[in-house]
Amino acid sequence: MLNFILAGTIEPGDFTGFTFFIGSVSMLAATVWFLMQHGQVDKKFKDSMLVAALITGIAAVHYFYMREQWVAGLGSPTELRYIDWILTVPLMVVEFALLTGVGMKKLFWLSVVMLVTGYFGESGVTGMLDAQTWGAVSGLAYFWMAYEVGCLSIFGGPSGAVGNALASGSGKIPEAGKMLQWFVLVGWAIYPVGYMAGTEGWYSFVAIDEGAMNIIYNVGDAINKIGFGMAVWHAARS
Amino acid sequence: MNVVTKSKVAGLILAIPIIFFGLENSYSVYLFLIVMLSVGIPHGSVDHIIAFINPKARKFNNKFLFYLTYLSLITFNIILWIISPFIGLFVFLIISCYHFGETQVIGYNPTDNKLLNFVVGANILLSLFLNNIVELQEILYIIPEFSNFDLSSFDSVFFLLIAVAVLMLSILNFEIKRKVPLYAEITILYMVFFHTDLLTSFALYFGFCHSLPMLMLEFEEFKNDNFIKFYLKTLPFTILSIIFGFLIYQFNNDLLTSDNLILFVFIIISSLTLPHVFIMRDFVKDK
Repeated sequence: MLNFILAGTIEPGDFTGFTFFIGSVSMLAATVWFLMQHGQVDKKFKDSMLVAALITGIAAVHYFYMREQWVAGLGSPTELRYIDWILTVPLMVVEFALLTGVGMKKLFWLSVVMLVTGYFGESGVTGMLDAQTWGAVSGLAYFWMAYEVGCLSIFGGPSGAVGNALASGSGKIPEAGKMLQWFVLVGWAIYPVGYMAGTEGWYSFVAIDEGAMNIIYNVGDAINKIGFGMAVWHAARS
Repeated sequence: MNVVTKSKVAGLILAIPIIFFGLENSYSVYLFLIVMLSVGIPHGSVDHIIAFINPKARKFNNKFLFYLTYLSLITFNIILWIISPFIGLFVFLIISCYHFGETQVIGYNPTDNKLLNFVVGANILLSLFLNNIVELQEILYIIPEFSNFDLSSFDSVFFLLIAVAVLMLSILNFEIKRKVPLYAEITILYMVFFHTDLLTSFALYFGFCHSLPMLMLEFEEFKNDNFIKFYLKTLPFTILSIIFGFLIYQFNNDLLTSDNLILFVFIIISSLTLPHVFIMRDFVKDK
C-alpha cells in the first residue's frame, strides 16, 4: 500500500511530478471549497455541490497515489488514472442530470460504453479487435454524449435533450450549461488524445513522451474536475 | 444530519486515513473483530425486543415461538453449510443482498421496493468481492465450485470497471427518490473497497454503513434517553453469539476445522443473519 506521508521528494526540474503535486492539492482544496459552499447554496443545488466535492475528493485521493508512484520512479500511473476516471466520469455526467432533470439514462449508458470500450482498447484484455477499433467505439460514445449535452449548439448546431434543457433552464443554469459544454467539448478531448498517444493505430504519429502526456492529463483533469464544480457553483449562486 | 448519515460519515472519516496510510493485513483482523464485537453483533442482539416493540410488525404470538423460529433458522443454516458449503454461501448471499440493500436505501427511498433493495445490496456485495477477487479466491478455495476459476489474466481495474458499469446500469431503471446521492454514496464505497483488503472493506461497510446506522435507529425506536442503557441491553445476546461462535469452532467437522478463519466467520455471520433479516424487514418498513 502506498503511503503519501512517506512519499519521496519531487526532484528539482521534475515538472511532471510537480503537476501531480499541484493536481493533488488543488483537488483537495476544491473539495473543501465545494463542501463549504454546500451549506450556502439553495436546497435544489445541494446534491450538485456534494457531487462536485465528491468528484474532486476522489481525484485528490488518486492524485496523492499517482504522485507517489511517479516520484518513486514506477512509471506512468495509468492504472490509477483509470480507477479515478471510472469513479468520477459517471459523477460528472450526473451533474448534467442534476441541473436539468433529464438525460441521466442516456448519459449513463454512453459513459459506460465510453469507459468500457476505452479500457478494452487500452488494456487489450479481451484479445478481440484492435485498439483503434475499440477507440473508435469509445470516441463515438464521447461524441454522442457531446451532442446530447449540447456542445454543438455552441456553434449553432443541433442539440440533444440535455442541451435543450440546459438552454431553457432558470437562473444561471444556461450560463453554467455553456461552461459545462465547453468543458466536455475541449476539456474532455484530451482523453482521446491520451488514448491515441498510448495505443497503436493509424494515429501513431500522436505518440509523445510519457512525462509530457502526464502533464497534459494532470492539467486537463484539474481544469475539468474543478471547472465542472465551479460551473455548477456558478449556477447555484443565483 | 440524521443518525444514519452521521454513522456513515464516521465510517468515511475512519476509511480515509486507512486508504492513505495503508493498513497492514494483520491489523485488518483486529479492525474486523472490533467492528463485529462493538456494533456488528450488537445491532442484531436486540431482535428479541425489536420483534415486539412495534405492534404493526409483530408476527409472533409469544416469545417462545419467536425463539423457536429464530433458533430453528440458525440451526437450519448451519446444517446447510455442513451439507453443502456452496448452497450455504448462495443462500447467505441472496439473503445478504436483500438485507444490505434494504438498509442502504434508507434515506434515499422507501424500503418497500424489494427488487431495488436486492439490486442495491447485490451491487455492493458484487463490488466488495470483485474488488478483492484474488483474496476471495484464496478464501473460497475450499469450495470446489470456486477452486478452478482462473482470473489471473484480468487486472483490478477491470473488476472495478465492471462493478461501476453494473451499478450504473442497474439503478437506472428504478424510480428512486434521491437517486444521485445514493449513487454517489455507493461510489465512495467502491473506492474504499478498491483500496482496502477484503476484511477491512467488509469491516468498514458492515460496521459503518449497515450495523451502526441500524443500531442507532434501534436506539431511536426504543425511545431511551440513555444510549449506554440501551447498549447494555444488547450485551446478553452479543455474549451468547460469541459463545455460539466458539462452540461452532470447536465442532469437529472437515469444513470447520480447516484453518480458514474467514470462511468460518462467513458461516457464523450467515447463521446470525438469516433470522435477523426477517426481523429487520418489519423494522425498516417505515424508515
